[in-house]
Amino acid sequence: MRHRFLVPSLLLVALTACQALAGLPAPATPTPIRLPMGYIANVQFAPFYVALEKGYFAQEGIELSFDYSFETNGVQLVGAGQLPFALVSGEQVPLARAQGLPVVMIAQWYQRYPIAVFALAEKGIRTPPDLRGRKVGLPGFFGASYVGFKALLYASGLRDEEVEAVDLGGFTQVAAVKEGKVDAAVGYINNEPLVLRRAGFAVNVIDVADHTALVGNGILTNERTIRDDPDLVRRFLRAFLRGLRDTLRDPREAFEISKKYVEGLSGENEAAQWEVLQATLPLWQAEMPGRSDLRAWQEMVNVLVRMGQLKEPGDIGAMFTNAFVEELWPLVEQGR
Amino acid sequence: MLGKAAGWGIMGRSAIWLPRAGTVFLFVFLWSLLVRIGDYPPFILPGPERVAARLWALAAEGALWRHWWATAVEVGLGLGLGVTVGLALAYPLAHWRLFEQMMTPYLVASQAVPIIAVAPLLIIWFGPGLLARVLVSALVAFFPILVSAIAGFRQVPLEWRELFRSLQATRWQTFWKLEWPAALPVIFGGLKISATLSVIGAFVGELISADRGIGFLIKQGQGLYDTPLVFGGILLLASQALLLYGAISALEHRWVRR
Repeated sequence: MRHRFLVPSLLLVALTACQALAGLPAPATPTPIRLPMGYIANVQFAPFYVALEKGYFAQEGIELSFDYSFETNGVQLVGAGQLPFALVSGEQVPLARAQGLPVVMIAQWYQRYPIAVFALAEKGIRTPPDLRGRKVGLPGFFGASYVGFKALLYASGLRDEEVEAVDLGGFTQVAAVKEGKVDAAVGYINNEPLVLRRAGFAVNVIDVADHTALVGNGILTNERTIRDDPDLVRRFLRAFLRGLRDTLRDPREAFEISKKYVEGLSGENEAAQWEVLQATLPLWQAEMPGRSDLRAWQEMVNVLVRMGQLKEPGDIGAMFTNAFVEELWPLVEQGR
Repeated sequence: MLGKAAGWGIMGRSAIWLPRAGTVFLFVFLWSLLVRIGDYPPFILPGPERVAARLWALAAEGALWRHWWATAVEVGLGLGLGVTVGLALAYPLAHWRLFEQMMTPYLVASQAVPIIAVAPLLIIWFGPGLLARVLVSALVAFFPILVSAIAGFRQVPLEWRELFRSLQATRWQTFWKLEWPAALPVIFGGLKISATLSVIGAFVGELISADRGIGFLIKQGQGLYDTPLVFGGILLLASQALLLYGAISALEHRWVRR
């Protein structure tokens, strides 16, 4: 019974794939897609703004709108099949799958894990062992910052109890470090340390990605969308990859476009935000942007198990797929 | 006659508890039925047995009581502080018009500020410890008791006040023998609202910054997509609100309605 539908289904998928790759006209009625971003409107989402502004999503028959809600909301909505895509950090995938949410990462947009520990230079914290006995502030005991922090400790041979982790109750790390409430804090390497430096402070930064390989932010979908509507995945991903390509090639243009979507990119904040984008670009760059590395997934799952957030590693191969990126990037790179 | 009355008392209590137990069973039954009919996966809607199993596992680890107690301490301190400040402000506000006109805009505005936006600031100002969470709880709890106490102090009939004045009662005597007893029924109404809100306040504080407590548990559950844990946390919060409400109702029964 299942085989009777398998061959026509595969033919249909192949046909739609060929149509899409041939750049045939988009469907007459655009598909509305609300994309949970997991953060506030920010210049770091420039590839999406570029793709939207240049009509890449429209050309794919997608009417994209942004939803700046919490990361976990996006994962749950995608897992429940209410939305097809969301932007999430890599560690959310094994955590969600462990609870039965059938989510899959289809493009690892951030090739380097963007988390870092930063401190005022006067604290003398330059390497992970310098954190021993220190108080380190986190925006919360969850998410990428927490996982990155723990991974850094484990990779450096530090035990949990050797560093005092403090829940700052939100993204207030810069204030906490400036006021000396903590010795160091965990944040995004392309954000908080830059803010401190612009305020005139000498800052030391420990980049988590220099010590361990983890899976950064990427695009999430669910197993049903991959199975039933792979064409939608291709269309969405192609539009995004074209936006990413253009942003990497011409960051200044991407910055100017982002001004339409993000408040505060002009005026007195312009230089600082331009710096943020420049610091973000290296996190995306790779021979094949969007491709995931199995070893990074294994490393991340090991960290989550050691943290006690996962009971067992689970099926790591089911957490991500490179199939779409490997198919689409070479064409996108050639300008198609 | 007395025996009959006592007998009716026992019957009356049974008559209250039986329907209450019945509604609990009905609620659990409907919840279970909904999960089965809808065939929802646990991350969308866990059944009552899954939530119970999650709470049981938490209790077996010894974590349930630790988190429950952490929140209970914050609620107790927050409610205590909120009620103390609320009552202390209510008396002068009820009696001195100028003071009321000066303070009311600030008090009303303080309630319009979303606590979820203020809580992170309190954490920065007072540090990520117990104090900040108690303050969040107190901030939420103090307004209902303040408003109800003002209304209570003002509702004392004029002729009673005149009677106390004609008897040359002191201000303290007037307060203790007349205004306080007269205001108590209304104050208890506000106290019940403050008590349930103080639980929400402590929860918000824990949601922002904590390493223990029911809010911390719920946040962990959300972060790990452990929906049964989230539901379990909600039930634990409800248990605290119900306990507080019951305790205040018992006090009210003892002090006001006897």
